[in-house]
Amino acid sequence: MEIRARQEYLEELATLERRALDGLDLVVAALDRTVEAVQHQDIELAELVIADDDVIDGRYLEIHQAILTLLATQAPVATDLRLIAALLHVMKNIERMGDQCVNIAKLIPIAGHEPPADERILKNLVTMGKAIRAQIRQAKRAFADRDVDMARDLVRQDDVIDNLNKECFQLAIEIGDEHDRREWAMTMMLVARALERIGDNAVDVGEQVAFLVTGLFREFEDASHPGEEVLPEPSSAS
Amino acid sequence: MNYETKDLNVADPEEQTMPQTPGRAESPIEATTEPETQPRPMEGMAATRHVRLEGLNAYYGALHAVRDLSLSFEPGRVTAIIGPSGCGKSTMVRCVNRMHEEIPGARSEGRVLLDDVDLHASNVDVVSVRRLVGMVFQKPNPFPTMSIFDNVAAGLRFIGTVRDEITDRVNAALEGAGLWEEVKGRLSSPGMGLSGGQQQRLCIARALAVEPDVLLMDEPCSALDPVATLKIEELIGQLKDRVTIAVVTHNMQQAGRVADTTAFMLDGEVIEVGPTDKMFTNPDDDRTEQYVTGKFG
Repeated sequence: MEIRARQEYLEELATLERRALDGLDLVVAALDRTVEAVQHQDIELAELVIADDDVIDGRYLEIHQAILTLLATQAPVATDLRLIAALLHVMKNIERMGDQCVNIAKLIPIAGHEPPADERILKNLVTMGKAIRAQIRQAKRAFADRDVDMARDLVRQDDVIDNLNKECFQLAIEIGDEHDRREWAMTMMLVARALERIGDNAVDVGEQVAFLVTGLFREFEDASHPGEEVLPEPSSAS
Repeated sequence: MNYETKDLNVADPEEQTMPQTPGRAESPIEATTEPETQPRPMEGMAATRHVRLEGLNAYYGALHAVRDLSLSFEPGRVTAIIGPSGCGKSTMVRCVNRMHEEIPGARSEGRVLLDDVDLHASNVDVVSVRRLVGMVFQKPNPFPTMSIFDNVAAGLRFIGTVRDEITDRVNAALEGAGLWEEVKGRLSSPGMGLSGGQQQRLCIARALAVEPDVLLMDEPCSALDPVATLKIEELIGQLKDRVTIAVVTHNMQQAGRVADTTAFMLDGEVIEVGPTDKMFTNPDDDRTEQYVTGKFG
């Protein structure tokens, strides 16, 4: 029973997971640049974010292909199968987070080189960026450590981000009647919305942690029934 | 015990008789060339019988191969038994139709219930047990000197089926085993002339001909190529509504494909039994997890 078999396969699976989760580091790097580009209205940096999204897309394709090969050649089951199913989801989340950074980066030239920026809104967006950065890193750690409690804590952080998003909306309403400022504020609302979606994707990664560990998939938060408790019980872990 | 004509022959030890079947063949081993007629479906066969092993122990001399094992095979559901070599899975199924006791020095204890009848009871006729509990082995084993027809007819003749019925039942069994279309024009050809996969389906037809309630399959595809394997697996899916089926397999993908329920055995014990999808996605026992993911065995 103690004989270790399929060592090569196990190493392959471990490498696959590491490469997939490292995709979250790529997202953090893209997010950092995106927020910086927003903060300083840096169009060149925004263009770099757009160009570098190919790296994240490339990672998605790499992991997707590796998963197909592993499914076809190794027929993984049980925890290994759940890991692979979870990684497929996580990679899709990573790809979507990268796309949201691109969406934000594309908004920066629209706002112009010297937009009539409102410091309070910019500060709010930077705070959101930092919170999401922490959230993504925590999602990665929770996945790597198979820590369901840490994954569930992402919901709490997401509530903070959602509130910052709502504040952004309020600040935009209060920005006054001047046309250019209103237009800029509307653009920043789209930025805040895209950032908030990245946070949602980080929560989705957390849901995959719970699935991986417990074998049960449940949304941490049900958008169609807000406020209802849908968290899987920690005791359901096998 | 409300068993009908095809049921177990449960008798006083002094009064054992053959199973009650309508009439007897004149010569049980007479070779024949039967006319080809269109088979009728195997009407009336429906999986209804539960097999329950209770506290089963099996030994080869001093070797304790099966240890206080309890397990059920449900009708209408295929049960796969998986586990590493030497874990006792073949021994366990051979206890069900009492083949284990044929091995010198081997013995077993415990109960093997077909519904409420203990097949291991001293007053149960072993011949009728094997008629109700058919078995298909790892390597196809058609009777080497017999034709395709006679291979299937052999069991019927042995249990005394009347000659008029034999042709219909052979053809129906070949149809039931998915072999009819491939052999209907050459029923008098030697069974050994068939391909490996066809020979295995011939053996399944031979087992089905006597209309068993339970079909045990011990590694039925391990000697077959992938296409022949898939045909057998498809057949298992078709047969499960007619007979209660248990399949011993080393091939976990096969268990995943054919079985509704999977039991994992280790060192003579059932470690875990459950719905196949659960066993292969989220097993409860760490040893099952380790085995199905190929980390030992």
